[in-house]
This record gives sequence, structure tokens and C-alpha cells, in this order.
Amino acid sequence: MSDPGRSAAATPGVLPSAVRIFDLSLGQMLWSRRSVFLGVLLGGPVLMAIALRIVDTLHASGFKVNGAAIGGSAIFGMMVWLLFIRFIVPVLGVFYGTSLIADEVDDKTITYLFTRPIPRRSVLLGKYLAYLACTVLLVLPSVMLVFFLIVPIGGGGIGEAFPSLLADLGMLAVGLASYGAVFALVGTMLKRPLVVGLVFAFGWEPAVLLFPGYLKRLTVAYYMQALVTHEMPQDSAISMLLQVFHEVPSVTTSLLCLATTVALTLWLAGRAVERREYVLEQ
Amino acid sequence: MTTRTRYFVIVSLLVLGVGMGTGLVAYYVGFPAGAQGHRGGPAELGYVPRDASVIAFANVHEIMTSELRQKLRRALPMQENGQQELQNQTGINIETDIDTVVGCLNPDPGSTNTPGAGMVLARGRFDEVKIESLMREHGAHVEDYNGKRVIAADTKDVADVVHGQAGSFALSFIEPGLAAIGSTKLIKSAIDLHKAGNNPQAGLESVTGNDELMNLVRSVDNANAWAVGRFDALRTQSHLPANVLSQIPAITWFVVSGHVNGGVRGTLRAEARDDESANNLRDVVRGFLALAKLGSGAKPELQAMMQSLEVSGSGKTVSLSFAVPAEVFDMIGAVVNKGKPALP
Repeated sequence: MSDPGRSAAATPGVLPSAVRIFDLSLGQMLWSRRSVFLGVLLGGPVLMAIALRIVDTLHASGFKVNGAAIGGSAIFGMMVWLLFIRFIVPVLGVFYGTSLIADEVDDKTITYLFTRPIPRRSVLLGKYLAYLACTVLLVLPSVMLVFFLIVPIGGGGIGEAFPSLLADLGMLAVGLASYGAVFALVGTMLKRPLVVGLVFAFGWEPAVLLFPGYLKRLTVAYYMQALVTHEMPQDSAISMLLQVFHEVPSVTTSLLCLATTVALTLWLAGRAVERREYVLEQ
Repeated sequence: MTTRTRYFVIVSLLVLGVGMGTGLVAYYVGFPAGAQGHRGGPAELGYVPRDASVIAFANVHEIMTSELRQKLRRALPMQENGQQELQNQTGINIETDIDTVVGCLNPDPGSTNTPGAGMVLARGRFDEVKIESLMREHGAHVEDYNGKRVIAADTKDVADVVHGQAGSFALSFIEPGLAAIGSTKLIKSAIDLHKAGNNPQAGLESVTGNDELMNLVRSVDNANAWAVGRFDALRTQSHLPANVLSQIPAITWFVVSGHVNGGVRGTLRAEARDDESANNLRDVVRGFLALAKLGSGAKPELQAMMQSLEVSGSGKTVSLSFAVPAEVFDMIGAVVNKGKPALP
């Protein structure tokens, strides 16, 4: 007969278990089919930056928007807004965040993890950390390359724009962490998490931001906006409306709210994983 | 963690590390972005506000060390007390301490200054402490603007310095070895541009974003002294009587460039408002040239210079090129020294 006290002492804690899961999941996440999509998604801005730089080198009069010359810093700011904040970060959050547990369920491999003598929530935490490492290690170098290719266009100084790059990198890391945590919760609680995630990221968030009121506080994008150092581009009618109702919380408030969101959603997701019974389809 | 995952993490961190390191070096040391090369003109143009009506450049070091300058010093040994006095007071030796100078004139609607607000960006080696204390002695005060020390002086105190022009006057060392002197407003704009770079969306843009002006700058990039500007902007600010203004040719842009070495080679170029104005201007210049060539017939030493004068241009452009050979300066020196008593 086994001693229950001895068994409890042998069970590793949440963090050491999460580290083991992280180690296992990082490689799986990096070299999965999803990584091809991730590579295309993040290679796109770099290729675009290379093309812009070549055009700038060949075309001496530089870039113009509505007849006015536009500098490299402004182009970089636009790329950060349009490509990274509005598209890449939410997309990565949706695709990776919702699949943290759902993939294991679909592949019917969740049993192998849940039968290990580790807390169930450490599986989610380890996978979340692997997602964060994977996306941060891909997104930040991509932004860095885009920065060095784009900012010198039009005589922009790398030194002058460097502080804003640091702010951008921090903001993107915070964004990935927040979206990842929110969609990890969606992935653990709902049956079709990808559809719900896409509707949230590209339906609910942009729609709610357009209107005045308190609903926008229930989005991640609202708090992300406060961390962006670049001017919001006026590229479409929607952007113009966003500028009209541009209500930005302070940086401290945003960071606190995003930290709370990450902690709360991860805790809820962990709780859901602990309590939910996953029925594998035969 | 598998080997390829480890390699991926290492490569990713390496890209981030190299980027961070390069950015930090650029931030603290301030190396140029490298794009100025094909934009044309000196890097200091990045600190000149976009609405400049005139910009000028001189490679002081090249001009001071040119054969022509040495020849002029020998031929015309001028009094250099003023230069010595400037060196004593500020520690600046014009001959050796200043490399390049960029000047600009910007419209200043709020003031009565005839040509507008001006600024000079001098690159070289300066004794910042000495210059600051000198300006303080003359009543200037130091203020902090966007992280830079701005030594501003009351208009009354420096009115004689800036040739009686009204308006505030300031000096700031925007970066090590780069002094900006001129209107306080322009100095502050230069500091903003240095700090934030071009950001047209925020209403902050340098003259490098002014295509019309930069196209002209690119056309004179090989000269060691040049000036380009909007002639019409200067004309509207000149407060000349209407009947005088009507006699001035309808010129929109002007370009003056020169290359000083053994002699002086230069071009004056003007862009007229329309083809007809350009034709009229060409005719006037040709008439004057014909007169000048006739007059120089008796002086063979001037003939080489006169022969080099050439009017050209098509459409709205009128161009006058010239070359002054070193012999002309020898001749001027000989004429000047002829009247002087021989040194014992």
C-alpha cells in the first residue's frame, strides 16, 4: 500500500512541471506545420521592408503620401500599427493561444500529459510559456530587422528612433502575452475556440473600439493602444473614426490592466483545465 | 530541447542582441543613418526645418586649405586682427577649427525681419565652455530645451551681432562638434529634429523632405560652396517698393554653386516662372555678357575668364557658368601690391 503523504511529496510543483512542459513544447511548437504559417506571416514584413529599401535606393526622391515626403520612422510606425498591432499579434494569439490544449485534445495526446504525476495547470502554463517564447523569439527579431531596414529611409536616424523601438518591442511582447493568455482561456473553455477567437480579434475588438462608451475596456487592443509610441495611421475611414473616438488610458493603467488580464485569464484557464473532463472522440 | 531548437533560440537571440547593441551605439554615439548619402547635401540639412526659403553650404576646411586661399594670402596679406580676436574670445580658429557650415533662412511671419529667421550649423572643434561663458558675459542665459542646453541672448544685447536684426538669438551644441547659432525658434526646431527625426505626421520635418529644394541641392552636391533658395519668397519679404519689384525678373528658384581650389569654378542658375520670363532673362544676361567681353578685349589676362562665361539653359532654366583662373588672382595681387611701399 502506498503512503499518501509520500506520494504528495514526490509530486513536483507547478513551476518545475511547467518548465518541463515548456522544454517539451517549445520544439513541438517551433517545428510544427503552423510554423510555416508563422514564417510567412513574419517574413512578409521583412520582405516588404527589403523591397521598400530597394525602391528607396533606386528612386532618389523618396516616398510620398498625398504629395508629402514621408520619413523612415513614419513608415516604420505605420508598419508597426497596421501589420504588427492590428494583424500579426492578434493572429498569433488566436492561432497559438487557442491551440495550446485544443491541439492535444484533437491529436488525442492529452491523456499522456494528464496521466503524468504533475498538476494539470502546469501543462497549460508550460505550453503558454512555450507559446510566449516561440512568438517573442520570432516577432521581435522580425521587428528589429524591419526597423533597421526602414528607419534610415528619408534620412531618419537610428539613434533617435531607437528608444521608440525599445518601447515597440516591449509593447509587442506585452501584446503577445495578453492575447495568448486570453485565447488560452478561450481554448480551454470552448469547443470551437478558433472561430470564437477570430470573431473576438477581428470582429468584437475593432467594432467596439469604434464607438464611445465603456465596452472598449473589454478589449486588449484598447490597452495596447496606450503603449504605442507611433501616431495612428489615417489609412481608412475606420482609422479616421478610431481617431475621432481615440480615448487612451495612461501607460500605467494599461500595463496594470494587461497584467491583470494575463494573470486572471491564465488562472481561469488553469482552473478550467483542472476541472474539465476532456472526452476524446473515438 | 533539441539541437535545432537550441540553434533557433541562439540565432533569434543573436539577431536581437546585435540589433540592440547597434541601436545603443547609434543612440549614444550618434552615427548617421547612412541614408543621407543619396539624399544629397550634408547631414546637417536634417536639422533645417522644411520651410527654409534659402539654404547654403560651405566646406570651410576645403576652402581654407585650397591653393587659391594660399595664393590670396600671399598676394593680399590682409589684416587678420578680427580673426585673431575671435580666436582669443571664443577659441575658434576659422582656419583650422571649422570644417563645414550650413546656413538657412526661414520665413518668419511673426517678425519684421526682412529675410526671415536665420540659423547657421557649424561643424568643427569648439571650446563649448569658453563660448558659453563668453555669451553669458554678454547677458545670455542658459535654458534647457528637450535635453539640450540652449544659450539664449536678449535681442537688444546681440542686435549688433546679427547686423541689427530684431528677433531672439541662441546657440546650442546639438551634438558633439556641431554648433547651431541663430534664431531661437530655429535652434529649438533643430533640437526637435535631432531628437525625434523626421515625423511629418507630428508636423516635424526637415528640409530633406522638401523635394523641390533637395533636387536643387543634389544638382550642386559636388561644389564646395553653394546656396539654393526660393527667389520669390525672398522677394515677397524684401519690403521693396512695388515699382522696384516689378523690374526684378520673375525668378522662382536660384542656385549659386562654386568650387574653390586652384581657381574658382561656378554656376549661377535661375528658374523663371515661365518659358517667356526665362527667354527674357537669357537675353538680358547675354547682352550684359557681350558688353563685358567687349570691355575686356584690352586686358588679355581677363580674357580667359570672360571666355569661360557661358549662358545656357532650356525651358524655364537660365544658367550662367564661369571659371576664374588662378592667374586672375595673381594679377589682382600684383595690382594691389604695386601701390604699396616695399617692405624694408
